[in-house]
Amino acid sequence: MWQWQTQPLTWSTFLAMLIGTVVILLLALGVVTYGILAERKVLGWMQGRIGPNRVGPFGLLQTVADVLKLFIKEDVVPAAADRPLFLLAPVLAFVPAFMALAVIPFSMQHIFTAGIGTGLLYYLALSALTIHGVMLGGWASNNKYSLIGGMRSAAQMLSYEVPLGLSLVGVALLAGSLNLNDVVRAQQHLGLWFIIPQFLGFCVFIVAATAELNRTPFDLPEAESELVAGYHTEYSGFRWAFFMLTEYVYLFAMAGLTATLFLGGWSGPWLPGWLWFALKAAAFFFFQFWLRNTMPRIRADQLMTLCWKVLLPLGLVNLVLTAVLKAVLLKG
Amino acid sequence: MLGFLKGLSVTLSQLPKKKVTIQYPDVQPEWPERFRGVHRFIPEDCTVCNQCARICPTNCISLSGTRDENKKLRIDTYDINFDICILCGLCTEVCPTECILMSDTFELANESRDKLYLDMHWLYENQLRYTQRHPERVAQEAAKDHEEAPAT
Amino acid sequence: MDERDVVRTEEMLLNVGPQHPSTHGVFRLIVKISGETILDAEPVIGYLHRGTEKLAENLQYTQIIPYTDRLDYLAAMLNNYALCHTVEQALGVEIPERAEYLRVIVMELQRIASHLLFIGAYLMDLGAMGPFLYAFQERERIVQMFNEICGARLTYNYMRIGGVRWDAPPGWLDQVREFIPYMRERLKMYDDLITGNEIFLNRVRGVGKYDTETALAYGLSGINLRCTGLEWDLRRKKPYSIYDRFDFEIPVGKNGDCFDRYYLHLLEMRESLKIVEQAIEQIPSGPVLGKVPKLIRVPAGEYYSGIEGARGEIGFYIVSDGKDKPYRLKIRKPSFVNLQLLPELLRGESMSNLLAILGAVDIVLGEVDA
Repeated sequence: MWQWQTQPLTWSTFLAMLIGTVVILLLALGVVTYGILAERKVLGWMQGRIGPNRVGPFGLLQTVADVLKLFIKEDVVPAAADRPLFLLAPVLAFVPAFMALAVIPFSMQHIFTAGIGTGLLYYLALSALTIHGVMLGGWASNNKYSLIGGMRSAAQMLSYEVPLGLSLVGVALLAGSLNLNDVVRAQQHLGLWFIIPQFLGFCVFIVAATAELNRTPFDLPEAESELVAGYHTEYSGFRWAFFMLTEYVYLFAMAGLTATLFLGGWSGPWLPGWLWFALKAAAFFFFQFWLRNTMPRIRADQLMTLCWKVLLPLGLVNLVLTAVLKAVLLKG
Repeated sequence: MLGFLKGLSVTLSQLPKKKVTIQYPDVQPEWPERFRGVHRFIPEDCTVCNQCARICPTNCISLSGTRDENKKLRIDTYDINFDICILCGLCTEVCPTECILMSDTFELANESRDKLYLDMHWLYENQLRYTQRHPERVAQEAAKDHEEAPAT
Repeated sequence: MDERDVVRTEEMLLNVGPQHPSTHGVFRLIVKISGETILDAEPVIGYLHRGTEKLAENLQYTQIIPYTDRLDYLAAMLNNYALCHTVEQALGVEIPERAEYLRVIVMELQRIASHLLFIGAYLMDLGAMGPFLYAFQERERIVQMFNEICGARLTYNYMRIGGVRWDAPPGWLDQVREFIPYMRERLKMYDDLITGNEIFLNRVRGVGKYDTETALAYGLSGINLRCTGLEWDLRRKKPYSIYDRFDFEIPVGKNGDCFDRYYLHLLEMRESLKIVEQAIEQIPSGPVLGKVPKLIRVPAGEYYSGIEGARGEIGFYIVSDGKDKPYRLKIRKPSFVNLQLLPELLRGESMSNLLAILGAVDIVLGEVDA
């Protein structure tokens, strides 16, 4: 029943798919819940504070309480907003972010997710879709800060798709496949995580990924000191929660991608595959929290310069180097 | 070029450090002796000289007194409006008998402004509470009074 | 190109404040932008106006002191001193040595506390979270020391005309002595954490530049003036109190940009530490309050004296008709004066520089609005 990827579509495989989706959704929600808590704890610890510790033991239920509060809040739609778009935007933002999770190999066998051959392309295509939700939200709010935030994020996310994609090409070239599971197997076969032969690519990737995630130092779309809250200034209650959820699900997906492409995914000695994966994803999470505590925000006009004048050439150089490396060393 | 790495190492080094915050409602902060919290008042020492009301920059003190059978002034009412009191402590400075003093009560938040209008009884209770919390400080004050009394 | 072919865009009026995360209080800035370029900016102030100058006309000189705490609430000790100094000058009273030393110690500590908060808040404006909370850790130590010496953490009301309210409690000077090496170490940490960060440098270098002439024309003072390279510090130029006894430097900037303004705060903290260190070594024993009449009557006339506050020259101008209350009190508020340059600085800048410039001006709304 679980081998539905290769089976013809029947009711039972459909049911399996449905169960798989729900399981992944629950997993994503759990990761987001505790990702947010971990963020607040890590930030607190780095700042000489304790972090949330009131709700539940060690504050473990803090996020649950926060989400509960968001859900029982009044659903406010500003009078001047474009109502249908305003209501649609959070959903539009969330759905692709969640769908991107479908190709992440959490363990050696794709139990609940899809092992499609073009996994990498699928991921890139879907992650670009989130922009629509963000931009629509900024536009439909009919608020100047939201508009600027929405526009900035559209420009930022679109531009950084390019170096992100380029840095992935190097990996795909080295692995010889776009299937994410094959990439992990290639690393296992090579006995080396791709972070080493692809170090330049990794650097480009991590910068572009941070920018894609709208996280510090690239959090311009929601720069609270400039734009109040950017594109979701007018959102509150569960609609706002959806935007937050999008952001963290996307962070989870990006952590999964990083772990898979550069850190060997589920492969590793002694420990079970899913634990290796979790550890590697957690390292990415930690890195993002760490950055958030340290870095000031980059300036809007320098953002584009960095993307087009630094990351893009570096990505191209990396691509050429990888091609040469592969042609000379691995074939010869 | 890699200056930001230095910054990252700084923040990382802060991670295992001892936390500086206290668990406020559970753990009360330690206030020094001179801390200027809400006033406390000792009615029997008051001579109704009205100096505290006159020095108050915001006019938040109002008091009244009558002469008793020995022709001595006794305090009848003593109200402080904490709505406008700025806790500057000037009243404690001018008081000749040190009957109006500052305590370390600091939680003044209330649902109504009326509740910030505190009278003599509340202020005296605050004195009793302060005595309970810091018997050694009050004893010190008393000893100082005793020392100064014969000199004057 | 024909005019019809050009895409027509409209200017947008953006209200930054009065409730905005980084206006540091209730400050409103009406910005006219075209795309991301600022065409015009108009600061709107007065949301925190309490009429301190008018209130003072009905208050005795001692009673005004707690009101000065509430001007620049991040540097209350310096405000206290500025008022007391003016009245003392008018009266010609002798201030005991120990009181002078205590005043210098608390004033320099206050300067450090204020600069720390500037650095924290500035980095917060630029999007970094950590430095703000680190700055509060050191500031907490200073504030706690103030709490011990005068019983309040923010509105100190510590100085009196003719001296200070309290002598230092036992062990207090040792606490300050221990604080100095700790603070030096932390300053090094700020240097590592912030000064070298490329993102930070890119945001502040060459941003919000002005030259000495402009600064003087607008009457700027303090770091806002010194960042242009003019060495103007009242502690040196018109020595008041006992500042002529200490050995310290006046750091000056070169370019007059936001980076210089940030970095001078860091350097000045170092110099303040030096002064505190020397003052602690030299402090004599003795009384802390000079002989002043109980009811202070300033002889009729006009008096002004300014001191080097944390944000520039803070001065009190007293017109007295010989009574125990001033006939008129005018405060030279450095934040208010420094703010006047802001529209000119912002014109033509990009939106993304708005907060870098606004933050570096270092305004405190309690003082701007008085």
